[in-house]
Amino acid sequence: MHRLKREHRHWNRRMLVTVVTAAALLYLVGIFLWGTLMDPSYYAVHYENKLLPPGLSHLFGTDFMGRDMFFRCVKGLSNSLVIGVLAAAFSSVLALILGIASAVCGGWVDRAVNWCVDLCMGLPHLVLLILISFMLGKGTKGVTIAVALTHWPSLTRVVRAEVLQVRSSQYVQAAYRMGRSRLQVAWTHMVPHVLPAYLIGLVLLFPHAIMHEASITFLGFGLPAEMPAIGVILSEAMNHIATGKWWLALFPGLMLLAAVLLFDAIGDNLKKLWNPGSGNE
Amino acid sequence: MRKRKILAWILMLTLASGLAGCGSGDTQSAAAGDDAAAQETADEGALSDREVTAYVGTSIFESSLDPVKGAMSYAYPFTNNALLKVNPESEYVGDLAADWEISEDALTYTFTLRDGVKFSDGSDFDAGDVVFTYETVRDHQANNENVDLTRLDTVTALDDRTVEFKLKECYSPFFDTAAMLQIVPEDSYDSALFDTMPVGTGAWKVVQYDTNQQIILEPNEYYFGEAPAISKVTLVYMDSDAAFAAAQSGQLDVVMVGSSYAKEEVPGMELAALETMDVRNISLPVQEEHTATDASGQEMTVGNNVTSDRAVREALSIGIDRQSIIDNAFNGVGVPAVNFTDNLIWASTDDYEDGRREEAEAILEEAGWLDEDGDGVREKEGLACSFDIYSPGGDQDRYQLAAALAEDAAQLGIQIHVKTAGWDEIVALQAVAGVVWGWGQYSPTVLYSLFESDLYLTGGYDNVVGYDNPQVDVKIDEALSANNQEDAVAAWKEVQRMADADYPYLYLVNIQHCYFVNENLDISTETQVPHPHGHGSPIICNMGDWSWK
Repeated sequence: MHRLKREHRHWNRRMLVTVVTAAALLYLVGIFLWGTLMDPSYYAVHYENKLLPPGLSHLFGTDFMGRDMFFRCVKGLSNSLVIGVLAAAFSSVLALILGIASAVCGGWVDRAVNWCVDLCMGLPHLVLLILISFMLGKGTKGVTIAVALTHWPSLTRVVRAEVLQVRSSQYVQAAYRMGRSRLQVAWTHMVPHVLPAYLIGLVLLFPHAIMHEASITFLGFGLPAEMPAIGVILSEAMNHIATGKWWLALFPGLMLLAAVLLFDAIGDNLKKLWNPGSGNE
Repeated sequence: MRKRKILAWILMLTLASGLAGCGSGDTQSAAAGDDAAAQETADEGALSDREVTAYVGTSIFESSLDPVKGAMSYAYPFTNNALLKVNPESEYVGDLAADWEISEDALTYTFTLRDGVKFSDGSDFDAGDVVFTYETVRDHQANNENVDLTRLDTVTALDDRTVEFKLKECYSPFFDTAAMLQIVPEDSYDSALFDTMPVGTGAWKVVQYDTNQQIILEPNEYYFGEAPAISKVTLVYMDSDAAFAAAQSGQLDVVMVGSSYAKEEVPGMELAALETMDVRNISLPVQEEHTATDASGQEMTVGNNVTSDRAVREALSIGIDRQSIIDNAFNGVGVPAVNFTDNLIWASTDDYEDGRREEAEAILEEAGWLDEDGDGVREKEGLACSFDIYSPGGDQDRYQLAAALAEDAAQLGIQIHVKTAGWDEIVALQAVAGVVWGWGQYSPTVLYSLFESDLYLTGGYDNVVGYDNPQVDVKIDEALSANNQEDAVAAWKEVQRMADADYPYLYLVNIQHCYFVNENLDISTETQVPHPHGHGSPIICNMGDWSWK
């Protein structure tokens, strides 16, 4: 009886994890598609509706140009998601290649990769972002490249550590003895082994990338003011906080927070499902 | 495990709220310090009720207070005086100069100085100080971008009270120079000290200067004019939103605010929207798109095929409704403008009605701009009537102005994309797209930099539209070399009459500078000179006339 109950609970948790992950994914993909396909007239200028507080006709209120904040936020968040996806995809592939190369090749390759990781992590992240974005002329291009180029180091370390674990294991040694090349060993033995950790790391990169995009945009080194983006919306809202227009900052902030937390939840849940080490937790 | 999870969520929350805070985080702590300083002075103010705490923006903290390095070159006196100053009617009147004379060939200017003037350290002012100041600026011209003395040949003291300037070539705006360069004492001039504590003949002296915190001013006991009624003024450094919050809690007597705050109520304070000479206009490239070589030999694409059509520029100038643009962008603060402001003696007074939409549409149709596909945007031979306008990044007011213009222009079938760019990017964009500019200065030399054809593509922000009219160039030369003010003004007006007929710049608004002022403080609006460019500091132009009611 006791045992049965336990099994029942276990099954429930797995179910819950799957449902939460699916719901989070649905929200994020929904926002992404809705924002991408949205007709700009939804968040167009309507001077007759300046600074309306939140209500039924405007869920999140309107800003100083009478633009609907709800649709602007959706569009803005979807812009952020695009940059997040691009940056996370690029960073994670770079991390995978460098991490495996570093662990498999060892020697000067390992030292060089480690040196690069230390170099990037030694600089304050935001400063590095601003530096790269500014150098590339700011704007969408600048911020995307900056975010993509600065999120690989920590994942590289994780991948490298994972690969180091299997490098000396017998089946890998056996593969070498049977004449497999390094590349073949890396592809057939290393990549499958590090895949769970890699995918979890990939998902957990998203919130960082989105937050950093919003941060440097907020500071004026990112997306231009004419583009709806959460960072732009928040920095515009700062001008109106002192006069009590709270909705301009609160709702965009909450939407960003929700997106970040949901990505984090997905990452955590994937870790529970995939990471063999956490199977007994 | 559960504890760790809660901790993780708290961490995420702080991380997320850190984003909203990271811009204002540093400033909040800085502002807290300022608030404390403001509080302190406000409390002292309550005791004697004779002190003023003011926030007039941060530009006064960002540059040197030394006139030799270009400080306070707005033609109104403060800690130091120039030979001339501007009165509320924008006319030049004597300040340190009692009288002056210009020779027939316009190459010699002779100023007779005022008697009995002393510097704030008690030393006497004489012609030697004038010679010293002008020679120092001329010899270190690179340190002073506001006062241009490159045409000055010699400056000599004929006696203690007379100074003679000889110019290398005729240059009628030299008069403006005489109003812009304030005099420093020859004996005690110290370049490093004067950055913060200048010694001058003005109504005020700096008694304490705390970098990026506050500047404390007291009346100069040796001032030759009427002594100020206020015994102490503290100019505080803060963020504009922190300053507004400080004003709401009663810590400031004067606070500069942007037009977006104009509709707000502040207890115990009244809004003052002060007259300026500052206009906002949009440059519309007048040349067709082609490749040209700039002064540094670099090949670049210049011109714009839409704005190069005079019909488009004219239709915009007469067809838009400036008042509604101002209502939408600036909460109604500002005056519609179609050229430079009438409070400048040299400015064009040829005003015209706007909002003539039908007439504008007729002009566009006659020029071949028709909306045949019914998308609301006109086109001509496959070219859509659409162009970009750039607003300098960080200037919310200019962005809103351009956005409001775009909305209005859309009703004429002209599509304007409003974008933002940094000043460094605008240098490259100004030749191909519209840019929102702000102009507000006493000197008519601005007309030279707007219309002189030789200045196109020379770098900087001169003649960005590519205006090229030989007749206008001739008139500009005539104005610059005039030997009296009347001829110069007449020529400058002619320059504007000819150039404005081509509508190279779309004038929108003569802005007003908004401040909240303690309702018991009289800032003497009638002796305020029309404010030049730079919202903030100009309100102190007549601080000697302020009084408590």
